Amino acid sequence: MKKIKMTFMTLAILLSVGGAIASRPKALQSGLYYYNGTGYMPAGTLGVTYVCESSPNVCTYTKSGNNYIPYQTMSTYTPIGATTTPTKPEPKKGK
Amino acid sequence: MSKKQVTLECVCALLILLFLYASISKFLDFKTFVGQMNNQPLPNSWTPFLVWSIPLLEISISAALLFEYTRLIGLYASLVLMVAFTVYTGLVLFHFFAYVPCSCGGVISKLTWPEHFVLNITYVSLSILGIILQRRKYFKTIIFLNIKHNLV
Repeated sequence: MKKIKMTFMTLAILLSVGGAIASRPKALQSGLYYYNGTGYMPAGTLGVTYVCESSPNVCTYTKSGNNYIPYQTMSTYTPIGATTTPTKPEPKKGK
Repeated sequence: MSKKQVTLECVCALLILLFLYASISKFLDFKTFVGQMNNQPLPNSWTPFLVWSIPLLEISISAALLFEYTRLIGLYASLVLMVAFTVYTGLVLFHFFAYVPCSCGGVISKLTWPEHFVLNITYVSLSILGIILQRRKYFKTIIFLNIKHNLV
C-alpha cells in the first residue's frame, strides 16, 4: 500500500515540477504579434500589457520567416495598462 | 489496497499536481505574475501580499496532502481555495468585471474562462470526493483502534 502511495505522490511531484519547467515562458512570449488593421506589431506580455478576449478572431500571431501564423485564436487583442511592479500611491501635494 | 484507497491516492495526487504546478509556474515567471495581479479588479496595494501568499498557500496545501496526519486539513483547504477560484471565475464569466487577465501559471493561463470554470468545478468535486473518502478512512481507523483497545 505504501509503495502505491509513494508512486502516486512521486509521480505527482515530478510531473508538476517537470511540467512547470517545461512550460515556462520562453522567447515565444516576446515574439508574439497582433494585427492592428494595417500591420503586425509586437504584442507585449499577456496579462500585463494585453489580454485576449473571447471572440471568433485571432488575438496574437507568431512570425515564421516573412509569414505571420495565428498563435492564440478565438479571441481579440485588447491592450491594457499596468506595470510589473506594484503601483505606489502618489504622494499628496501640500497646499 | 482497496479501490477506495486507490481513488483517494489518485485524488490527492491530482490536487498536488495542480497546486504544485501552478505555484512553481508562478514563481518561474514571477514578473508576469505580479503584472497580472496588478490587472486584477482588486486594490493594487494587495499585490505584494497576494503574489507571495497565493503560491505559498498552494505549496502548503500540496505538502499537507502528502502526509496522512495532515491530509484531511489539506483536502478542506483545497476545497476552500478551489471554491474561491470557482466563484471568481463565475464572476468573470457573468461579466462582473470589464476585463480580467488570468493570474494562473503555465498552460492553465491558456485556458478560456469557460474551460477554467469546468476545470475548477472538476477540482471542487475531486476535493469533496477526497474529503468523503478520507473521513471514512479516518473514522474506520478510530473504530478499529477503539475495538482493539477494548479487547486489550
